[in-house]
Amino acid sequence: MKFLPSISAGVVLTASAAFALDEPPLPAWRDKERAELESKGWIPGAILLTADPIPDEPAKPAVAALEVEQPKPEEIAEDHKLSSEIAEKYLPAYFAERPKNFLVDPQGLLSPSDYRDRLSFLNYHASDSSIDLFVYVIGGDQEIPSEVREEELIERFFSEGRPAAIVYYYLGAPQRSVVYLSPSITDAVSAAEQRRALESSVMQAFEKNKPAEQIEKFLVQMSIRIYWMERMLAGESAASDTLPLTGPVTASSSRAAAKSAKFLWLQALAVRSAIPAAVLLGAFLTAFGFSHWLRMRARYRFPEFDVEPRLGGAHAAGVGAVISFASAALPPASQRDQVPDYLRRA
Amino acid sequence: MDADARFGAEEVRIRCLTDSAGILRRGDRQRVEAGMEEITRRFPQIFVAIYTGSLGEVANMRQFGFWLLNRSAFEDVPLQKPNEAGILITIDPESKAAGMVFGYLLDPFLEESDTFECLSRAHAYWLEGRYADGILRTLKHLDGILRKRSRQARRDPEHFERKVVLPAQMGDLVRRIRSGHRPGVEEKPTEVVR
Repeated sequence: MKFLPSISAGVVLTASAAFALDEPPLPAWRDKERAELESKGWIPGAILLTADPIPDEPAKPAVAALEVEQPKPEEIAEDHKLSSEIAEKYLPAYFAERPKNFLVDPQGLLSPSDYRDRLSFLNYHASDSSIDLFVYVIGGDQEIPSEVREEELIERFFSEGRPAAIVYYYLGAPQRSVVYLSPSITDAVSAAEQRRALESSVMQAFEKNKPAEQIEKFLVQMSIRIYWMERMLAGESAASDTLPLTGPVTASSSRAAAKSAKFLWLQALAVRSAIPAAVLLGAFLTAFGFSHWLRMRARYRFPEFDVEPRLGGAHAAGVGAVISFASAALPPASQRDQVPDYLRRA
Repeated sequence: MDADARFGAEEVRIRCLTDSAGILRRGDRQRVEAGMEEITRRFPQIFVAIYTGSLGEVANMRQFGFWLLNRSAFEDVPLQKPNEAGILITIDPESKAAGMVFGYLLDPFLEESDTFECLSRAHAYWLEGRYADGILRTLKHLDGILRKRSRQARRDPEHFERKVVLPAQMGDLVRRIRSGHRPGVEEKPTEVVR
């Protein structure tokens, strides 16, 4: 019964809502009502209740259709309009010799603090990895002059010394980045793996908006991918197929990968000796199990000698031990040599 | 035998596991019997017997064991296994003493110290009244010793044969001396014949 008022209220509200859905009829002039009101003077709101044009309102010109110029094909293909080539004065600093630092930024595109941080990271990477990572920082809207042949430079500068991965990184436009490997490891790391490494690094970079943060993410991911390249060099099959290209990547994971690279030789040794070790272990376990099985099934026999009966015993001569367990204070060690001499065998 | 005068000269019919003292529970009996069978399986020539009972204060545990192994007829031991092949463990829970004797078959292969070592393994268990655990521990150690001696006997049977034959040779020598053997004539060394 206590729900009755609420039910009633609900019914009323529902009915009201249904009623509200029907539009109320528009008001209409009754016969001569309008004429009477007009004869009296001003009718409030009369201007709204008629279809006649509002007096004194300026006539609106007809709206012309917007004419928007369609994008040109080159605008669709190119997100960025390349402004210029790298200034000639910077070319020697870029391409004259093998870079002294892992981070090459003669134009000063990175702020000093960012440059220091990135260079520090690359140094750290080099200390923990067998593959160095060289990064050329180029403006996002810049182009490398056509007379510079990147492949030839890589061949010339990076044929000797430690293996290296060289990245031309376009600041603010990481999708334009290019990666090259030094000739010593080009054959070992497939082009597909190089492409995947670059793609995943670019995707990581695009998680950030600021160019400085983009390059940081890019380098961290590239460092991780270089770790996988090291594993390939060690003879391990590329596990990059199982490695997600876009995964949550943090600096700590990069550091872990770099630390693992320290023990690359150990991993290589383990890989080489895994199968022989497994075979040896299996053989050992098999031999051990077989030996144990044989021992369990073994039957032992004693040669039978004619023993002269003693002490009148037909079957036994009573040479055996006796032990007392009456007290823990009398351990077995104190009960040795208790057999009377006359019971000993001559 | 003096022991006959004390314990009787009649044959005693018992089973291999005779728990007269009632110190083994039902589950314990099964475990102990399994341990005894394991010895029998591994060493087909021999068997293990266990007797528990009160011997009284005056009884000598070693003498009783000696007498029991010589006078008992084990009902559950095949006839082809004489008592010479037996190892008897006797436990007196009242006087808290235990002994182990063995037949002539094992005479060359077991020493008193071996049996003492076996019983020593059970000392801690028997102190706590865990008789079955102590017996199993004893049997396990006995198993190890017997395996070792069996292997040694297979490699060098003469070593063990000398233990039982030499006293006989010594007896022969004494008899020859007593029968007027002349020391001037050199005796050829007698070879040991199995």
